[in-house]
Order: sequence, then C-alpha cells, then structure tokens
Amino acid sequence: MQNDGENTQRETPAAENPAEENPGRKEVVSVKGLYKRYSKKADWAVTNVNFSCYEGEILGLLGHNGAGKSTTLKCLEGMLPFERGQITIDGHDIQKEAEAAKQSMGFVTDNHATFVKMTGMQYINFMADVYEVPTEVRAERLAELEEIFRLGKPIENLISSYSHGMRQKICMMGSLIHHPKLWILDEPMTGLDPRTMKAVQDCMHKYVAEGNSIIFSSHALDTVAKLCDRIVLIRKGEQVDGLNVKEIYAANPKFDLEEYFLRNERQD
Amino acid sequence: MNDRIKARRGKAGATKTKKSYGRVNFRTVKALLRKGREERRSQFKAGQFDLAGFILKLLLVAAIVALFVVFFGQFTGMYVSVKTAGRPDVMSRATELLTILYTAVILGMVIGGVGQLGRELFAADDMKIFSAMPINARTLFVARLISIYRGQLLIALVTVLTVNATFAWKVGVTAAFWVMTVGICFILPLITIGIAAVIVPVFQVIKRFLRERFVLTFILLTALLGAGFWLYSLILGGVKALLLGDSIRYFFNEAVLNTIGKVCAALYPARWFANIMTGSEFLWSWVGLVLTAAVSIVLSLLIIKNILERALQARNQSSSVSILKTTKLTKRGNRFTALLKKEFLMIFRTPSYMFSYFSVAFIMPLMVYFCMDVSASLVENLVGLDCRLELALFLTILFGALTNIFCATNISRDGEMFYTVKAMPLSFKTVFFSKIILCLIVTAISQAASAVILAATGALGGWDSLFIAVAGMLFSFVNIAVATRYDFNHAKFSTEDDGEIKESSGTVSTIIVMGMVLSFAVGGLVFVLRVLSQLRQFEYGGLTYIIVSALAAVAVGLAAFYLLFRLKRKYYEFSGGGI
Repeated sequence: MQNDGENTQRETPAAENPAEENPGRKEVVSVKGLYKRYSKKADWAVTNVNFSCYEGEILGLLGHNGAGKSTTLKCLEGMLPFERGQITIDGHDIQKEAEAAKQSMGFVTDNHATFVKMTGMQYINFMADVYEVPTEVRAERLAELEEIFRLGKPIENLISSYSHGMRQKICMMGSLIHHPKLWILDEPMTGLDPRTMKAVQDCMHKYVAEGNSIIFSSHALDTVAKLCDRIVLIRKGEQVDGLNVKEIYAANPKFDLEEYFLRNERQD
Repeated sequence: MNDRIKARRGKAGATKTKKSYGRVNFRTVKALLRKGREERRSQFKAGQFDLAGFILKLLLVAAIVALFVVFFGQFTGMYVSVKTAGRPDVMSRATELLTILYTAVILGMVIGGVGQLGRELFAADDMKIFSAMPINARTLFVARLISIYRGQLLIALVTVLTVNATFAWKVGVTAAFWVMTVGICFILPLITIGIAAVIVPVFQVIKRFLRERFVLTFILLTALLGAGFWLYSLILGGVKALLLGDSIRYFFNEAVLNTIGKVCAALYPARWFANIMTGSEFLWSWVGLVLTAAVSIVLSLLIIKNILERALQARNQSSSVSILKTTKLTKRGNRFTALLKKEFLMIFRTPSYMFSYFSVAFIMPLMVYFCMDVSASLVENLVGLDCRLELALFLTILFGALTNIFCATNISRDGEMFYTVKAMPLSFKTVFFSKIILCLIVTAISQAASAVILAATGALGGWDSLFIAVAGMLFSFVNIAVATRYDFNHAKFSTEDDGEIKESSGTVSTIIVMGMVLSFAVGGLVFVLRVLSQLRQFEYGGLTYIIVSALAAVAVGLAAFYLLFRLKRKYYEFSGGGI
C-alpha cells in the first residue's frame, strides 16, 4: 500500500490493511502487483494495484476521473493485457486460463457497448449461448431479471432504439443470465432511474447474500457507502488506500466518506 | 452584485439572446467549421494513421482516373472525328460528349449530395450536442451548408477537371476554356445541392419506411444493383458490337447521331455547361445556369433549413415502435453458432453492410455470367482462341475478390464490442473462425451459383464449372483470411453512436489492391500462357488446371499462415482500435 493515505489511516484505525485483509472467506478475486500502460511510451495507467475480493462481499473501486478504475476493471475482465502482476478469478489466472476465469464472471462496461442490431431478447439468447446456460433454467432466470430491471415490451425491439438507461438494463440482464460467481460493474448507476437504481442495489445485496461477489467502480459516494463492504481507493493509477467501510461505520457512524475522498484528492 | 457588472451582464446577455435565436452567428459558424476540419485532421495523427493504406487508396484513385483518361481520351478522338454528310462536325460532337459526361457528373454529385445531406443533417452525432447548446438553427444551418458545399466543390473540381483535361487533350481548347472550367466548378455544386435537397426528404421517408424491413431492403438493394449491372452489361454488349462490327463510323450512323443529338439537347442543366465549354449559345447558357443556380439556392435554403430544424427536434425523441417478429428464448446453442448468428445479424441489419456484402455476393454470379458472355466471344474473335476456362477463372477470382473486400472490416466493424467479446469466455479461434466461416458460407454460395450458371448456359462444361467453383472458393478464402488479419492488425473502431463504419479506410484500399493483383496474377498468367501456346504452337493440355491448383495451394497455405501467425498472442494482447 502506498503511503499517501497516512493521515487518513490515523483517522480510520479499523482499516489497517483492508485491501488485502482475509475475512476468513474464500478468495474469489486476487489482484497482485498490477501494472498497466497503453503503450511503451505512455505513462503507467495503473501501478502496483493489489486487492482481493471474497465471496459474499461487495468491493468498491473509488477514484477521480481517469484514476485508473476502469483500466483496472478491464484488466480484471480480460479485455486488456497488462505488463506486470497477476489476476486470478475463482482460482483461474486471467492470462493463463482466460476462458475458465471469464466463465466465472459477468460484467457491465462503462460505455454499455452491446450489439445494437440485435433485439433485447436476441442479446439475452446470445449471452445465454455464450455462457452455456442450460435450456431449463433460461426462462426462470429471465423472469427473475425482468422482475428486477422491468425492461418490459421493448425487449423485443432493436437495441439501437434503446435509451441510455435501457441499454444499461439489457447489459446488466445479459451479464447476469448465467448467474456468475463474480459480477463486475463499471459505473453501474449512471443513467438509471431511481426505481431501477434501488432495484439494482437490492439485487446486489441479494446477489452477495447468495455467496457471490461484486466489484464495482463508482463516483457516487453515497452509493458506495451504502453498498460496499470494503473500498479500494485509486489515485493517478496508484492504489492509495483500502477501507473496510462496514467496520469503519460500525466504529464511527459519523465517518464522512466524502470528506475522506476529497482529502485524498487534495493531496495531488 | 455591482450595478455596473449587472448592467454589463444584462447587455451582453441581451446581445447573446438576440444573436443566438435570431441572426446567424458567423463566429460560431467559423468555430463549427474549424471543429470539422480538426476532426478530419485527427485521422492523420501519428499512431492512428495507416500510411500504407492511405498511399494505396491514393494509387487506386489515381489508377481509376488514369484508366478513365486513357479510355475517354481515345473515345473522344474517335467520336469527334465521326463524319455526317461526309464531313466531321467537331463542335456538335464535342457538345454532345460533354453534355453526356456532365450529366453523369451531376448524377454522381446528386447521389453523393443526398448521402452527404443525410449524414450532415440526420446522422451526425454532434447534432444531439448542438441541440443542447446556444447555437441557433440558422447558424448551424449555414455551417452545415458551407461544409456540404465544400464537399461538393471538391468532387466537382476532381471530376470536371479530369473530364475537361482529357477533353482538352484530344480537342484543341483556348485559355477561356480553363477559365470557364473553374467557373462551372463553383456553380455546379449550387445546382447539385438544390437537386439533392429536393430528393433528401423523399429518401429519408423511404429510409424510415425500410428501417426494420430488412428483407425488403435486401430485395430492393439487390434488385437495384442487379439493374445497374444489367445496364452496364448492355453497354458492354454495345462496346462488343462496336469492336466486332465494321467500324465506329458504321455504329454512329446518321440515325444514331440524330438520336444522341436530340437526347443531349434536352439534358439540362448539363447542356448549358457543355455549351459554355464549347462556346455555343454562350450567353443564354450562362443566363440559364445562373437562373437555375438561383432557384436551386432558394430551394436548398428552404428545404435544408426546414429539415435541419426538424432533425434538431427529432434528435431528442426516440421512436421505438418495432415491427420485428417476436423472438422467444431459445434452447441451449453452442458458442460458435451464437457468434455466427450475431455476425450475420450485424451485417444483415445494417443496410450499407448488407449492400456491400450480401447484395454484391448475390449479384456476383450474374456479373461473372454477363462479363463472360461479352468477353468470351470478343476474345475468340480478336485472338482466334477459345479460352473460356481462363476467362472464367479470371472473372471468378476478380469478382470474388471484389465481393470479399467487405472482409477488410471484419474486426473494425465490431467497434467497442470487440473488447466486450474479448471479455467473454470465448477462445480466439471461436471469435475469428465465426467471422471467417460466415464469409466462407457467403462466398461458397456465390461461387457455386456462378459455376451453376456458367454450366447451365453452356459457357463452360460441367467439370470445368466445378473446377472454377473450387478454385474460386480457395482464392476467396485467401482474400478473406488476409483481409481479416490485415484488419485486425490495423483495426480502427468507429466512434459513431451505432459503431457503423461510414467511410472506407486504408485497410479496404489495401485489400482491393491485393484482390486485383491476385486475380490479374492468376487469371492473367493462365490466359497469357494459353495465348502463347497458340502463338508458339506448344502443347498446352491441362496446364491451366495444374497451374491454378498449384497457385491456389500455395496461396491458401500462405494466407492461413498469415492469418494464424501469433494470432493467439496478438488477440490476448490486443488493445488497439483507437478507442
């Protein structure tokens, strides 16, 4: 862990080494010494990021715009190669056993890129085929997801006709159709209406209660505070701190995450 | 707040309001034009710019222009020397020739203008941003109009200068000819934009009607392409008759020339342009042109302004009434089939992709047949040799290559979804092979249909047709494999909202050149050998089969190697695409 968060650690004694702490549960994600840059001439986009995520846990990645959150998540998802470090998902190395690692996760990207020439239902079928979802559970899964996201009749329309929020919903539905052990979300709440936002938050709680894990990045500090068990703070590509939010709030209910975040930002 | 500041703000605010919603703000126009210029320049930035592809693209355009200059130059020389009543009438023939050519230029510019207007007014992604900015419709309208005019002017300069320079090469011209050339280049876009502006609303209505009617769109586009090619084959047939007939003088007899003269006399406004260039009815032609341009400017101003205002409003409203059939949850399918289906839908539901691939592939057998029909007897008459097999090979490989140019977008057209697919539990083989297999299915159907038509019409024997089909498929595989890998190495993702590639890239030009070289190398080689065997009197036998089989085997091997070389590593390390 970097030393930038020295003052903060003094104020948050419960977070001794929370980014790597082992709460006695199975480790689903392990990120060790992650370094990533987009070209040999470019500066490092991510330097020495280390964290773990355990089953039944929601881990939040916090940081300002361009801090390296999305890059870290893209490395985690196997979208981007990285120069140094090791990432394992459910025991599978993302570089060496890419397919097995990817089968264990579902992801929603920040740009909600999807196949716009498919209808929502065709996209769901496509994702179910790619993740080899058995025929007998497909209808039940879809009904569950429809209950949460309530896309309704537009599921029969071309995705190109969807609004930003609807695209996000179909991406989330597609990412959960195989009920992955790990759900990765990049800025998941952006563009969602309050009802869906609440439904997604409930869904996240329910999801981890079943023993699954979630890693997500967000700027919405209140959402992070409300949802996360732990957070990893990234600044200028470097991991500067880790907080066990639940423990901190238990010890100090008046803890102000926003102030903590801004103080870290001011150190630039 | 300080009163003086308040007063200043109030004054500025009032001026701004007046400017924003009333008059055209030329400072904003300038800024909008600069934005467009910088966007165009950005594609030449180091790291994103494919220099080799760009040079090839330039060479390709240069080759097309050179080909036109040579053929049109020869034809001009012949046509203006045609005699009526025992003597040539250079002025009339020159006017007719220029009228026809300017008509073609105007048609081309109108078609381009309709596309450009559609893109600038309806499809431009920045419209959504502008609609939320204090930029009034008039300012945006003027900026768009200048941009459209500039694009049309560029096309006019290239086409008119080429036509006129070739014309001047064969028919003596004065300095005034060049002055007039520049003049008409500036007037021509005013007229073509006006015509395009009238067509655009109708075109948009048709486009909206066809929005989700993909099968109907396919039928219409294919029929349009088929009709175009049928017309082309008629012209080719005419050229054949011309070359095989007695002489050009016989073809352009008095009756034919009269008809041409009558048609050209009615082809306005092209006729006025031609008159100005040849100096006949000079003044009246200028009056006619200036009046037409004035009417056209008023028309385009009215129509485009109206369209733009509607487009600005419509941008923020989404219509989502779907007419597609309801899809049900499917039974478990395999990953490869899912990707194959996805690939098909992405092409079939994007009209420009559908046209450039499926329609072209569908029409390809007819193209091969028509060209075979024209060229086989021509070669037989000119060289005195039956080399149908070699010709069929050349045509099959050539048209196969032209069809598979589309594969040069196999990766780029995925856009950001390429990364999303990369994060799915799919091997690089599944991802790449699903793309290649779809292309192979399309090409196999197309090549097989060509062979069946050639066999059914008696142009070739059954075994030769089968040989042509197999050779065509093998060389198509070469095109597909090389195009896919080349595109992967030089992938450039679209930043459009729907990820659609709207302009051809340097990659496409490279693949066009490669396809042409391959078809000329293989088809040309066996054709030349066949002719040489006749001239040198050596036993040819089945040399064509041997040479083509050997070349196909080598080409397939090399293409497969190029496709697969370090593909796995490159796929997992991929972070390109320019996004």
